[in-house]
Amino acid sequence: MATEKTDVVIVGVGAAGGILAAELGKAGMKVIGLERGPRFKTKDFDPHDELRYFQRQDLRPNIKRQPVTWRPNASAVASPMPVQNYGNQAGGGTVHYGAVSWRMHEDDFRARSHTLTRYGASAIPGDSSLADWPLSYADLEPFYHRAEYELGVSGKAGNLAGSKINGGNVFEAPRKRDYPLPPLLADQGETLFDAATRKLGYHPFSTPRAILSQPYNGRPGCTYCGFCQAFGCHVGAKSSILVTKLPEADATGNFKLITGAMAYRVNTDNTGKATGVAYYGVDGSDNTIEADIVIVSTFIYDNTRLLLLSKSDKHPNGLANSSGELGKHIMAHMMANVFVGFDDRHLNVYMGPSAQKRTIDDFNADNFDQKDAGFIRGAQISIGTGNLEGGPISFTTIATPPGVRRWGGAYREFLAKYFTRHAAMVAQTENLPYADQTIDLDPTVRDAWGLPAPRVTYDWRRPNERARVEFMQKKMEEIGRTMGASVVWRAPVSPAGAPGAHHEGGTRMGNDPKTSVVNRYGQTWDVPNLFVVGSSTFPTMSGFNPTLTIQALAYMSADAIVNRYRKNPGALL
Amino acid sequence: MSKHDESRRAFLVGAAVGAVAGAGLKSTDALAQNQARPAADTSHAHANGHGAFFNDEDSATVAAFTERLLPGAPGQPGAREAGVLNYIDLALAGAYSDQQDFYRRGLAALDAYCRASNGKPFAALTAAQQDAVITALEEGKASQFTWPSAQAFFNTVRTHTMEGVFADPVYGGNKDFAGWRLVGFPGAQPLFAPADLQSSNAYGSGSIIGLQARKG
Repeated sequence: MATEKTDVVIVGVGAAGGILAAELGKAGMKVIGLERGPRFKTKDFDPHDELRYFQRQDLRPNIKRQPVTWRPNASAVASPMPVQNYGNQAGGGTVHYGAVSWRMHEDDFRARSHTLTRYGASAIPGDSSLADWPLSYADLEPFYHRAEYELGVSGKAGNLAGSKINGGNVFEAPRKRDYPLPPLLADQGETLFDAATRKLGYHPFSTPRAILSQPYNGRPGCTYCGFCQAFGCHVGAKSSILVTKLPEADATGNFKLITGAMAYRVNTDNTGKATGVAYYGVDGSDNTIEADIVIVSTFIYDNTRLLLLSKSDKHPNGLANSSGELGKHIMAHMMANVFVGFDDRHLNVYMGPSAQKRTIDDFNADNFDQKDAGFIRGAQISIGTGNLEGGPISFTTIATPPGVRRWGGAYREFLAKYFTRHAAMVAQTENLPYADQTIDLDPTVRDAWGLPAPRVTYDWRRPNERARVEFMQKKMEEIGRTMGASVVWRAPVSPAGAPGAHHEGGTRMGNDPKTSVVNRYGQTWDVPNLFVVGSSTFPTMSGFNPTLTIQALAYMSADAIVNRYRKNPGALL
Repeated sequence: MSKHDESRRAFLVGAAVGAVAGAGLKSTDALAQNQARPAADTSHAHANGHGAFFNDEDSATVAAFTERLLPGAPGQPGAREAGVLNYIDLALAGAYSDQQDFYRRGLAALDAYCRASNGKPFAALTAAQQDAVITALEEGKASQFTWPSAQAFFNTVRTHTMEGVFADPVYGGNKDFAGWRLVGFPGAQPLFAPADLQSSNAYGSGSIIGLQARKG
């Protein structure tokens, strides 16, 4: 049993933890990062191997060693989820992600008050815990900017300080500067999608992605190899934490990364203050890091689980849970698909960055009138590849057009004809928060360390969410027909469950210690030297991928810790 | 040298360096080759090698079953030509060893169902009878199955068949890039040029690249 002392211990060195490690280290604080998985190098990602990385999910948690269980509602029995869509290594999900990097809209930060003003209280489902964020877009804008420039994001501004720019996202919130890098090249699916959506009066644009369209900060530009989402980048053009912030953290001389470390408890003293973290080492040893500041920045399941596992006499319901809100209000993007197939041309969508390549934002957030829509809040609609990955194994996992069986001679003909002649649209929906969508500890299933598995209770099939999915699928079918596709077909929506990706919530941020777990800086209300940073703090999810917002929040937390907390430890608000 | 060529060259140099460290991959390659070679030497009927896990009887069933899931046709390779049996046989002896019992019990149930419904083992049925059996499994209508369920068995074998057709040949299937030739996938290309992205034609420049070729 080893004990080490440090200024700051960070549990989980991914999208948020990597930024905090670098920024706190630069400020002279001694930082130890605990990471459950390994630390890879760019040269480890040379194999362009779809079986290993897409199908067998080599960069995701091992579902047998690290199970997460799921049930649709509190009266059902949970069973282990077959796939876990988050990272399991230094750099976290940014190693395998599609690198889609959004700033949320201004109204995304005040989804509740904005809805009340525009549509009235009756528009909000009675059981939804829809809430405003405790900060505004303007508060976060400088940190979005830092994330875009320090990491390297490619895109085109659509709203530069209030002036709208054709070809960018005209619905985006005003930005002070354009992206640091021009948009990535378009493929054939994007070209057809662009023309069709313009014809329909919508506003398509190249999806902003943390993938270098040109050399930047000593890293090379994208090679358009297509082995992108689900893979590590073989040239380091994907701006993952692995090739951006971890080298910065190393260079400070103040950062130490411990891999293979399974944190199982945040330790507290008899005043209720956090004193450090207990973890199992890669050799099974039981170890302790003593620290002045504890930062928890794992994926949402473990953020909640670790706080629940850390209960004590002072914190009988779990750490930072005096509100009783810990583990509640979780959300998941529903990824509704429509596919297009062409008889007269190829699209070759296996080329280029594979996820959500080109977007319309016309039906996201409150960018369209929802007065008679039958639902509130929208979806980002984009074109790309089925399952966000464009190889042939991925293609065998998507739905077939009506009348085409998923095996046999006709299926072979379908694969042979449409693999290079199809594209996939996806609507990434802003599912609302509900208090009964939760994470807690599974009563029976345990992980390889003997710890109770996180248990997710979630079912996307709420009336508001069903109506939104139906609306978006019709929109995508309209776009598909306008693209001139020979065949347009929708995937059946998943029957139940916690679909897709980007699970969010569980340690909700707010302005009131009675109704939230952390404040805008991720500082827990109950334990001022304990911070939780990541998408678990999101009060609402938006229709956008969460990573750039996670990263902006991490920069904001780092700024608050370095410039305010360090001088005067205690509550920041 | 164009920028395009420069990055291709940089990539190839990197790949050559990587080959020295790729000892683990090499041994897998050798295993895959050893599986395929004796079969090819003896008879084409046994082009689907096995021996790591399946016995002869089960291998005949799996070869026949997977060929109906993705049957070959003139100019269009199917599961047998791609070496799907070899892929699944190796996978069950390695990465999927936790599914050995799933296959053992599933194949026994399949055999019992075929003998009860048709009086013959699966491999001895006509193609139309085989398709009817597979349909019954897919729809959960085949008795004799307990665990795995008929649908679970169908879904798993279907998934493994697609893996065997379309995964890199390093895993023992996709023989001579049969699966990638079927759908027009050029494999593990390190880069595509702007002209490739702008083309509405099939990608035609250069040969299919697999992991072994890249390491060679």
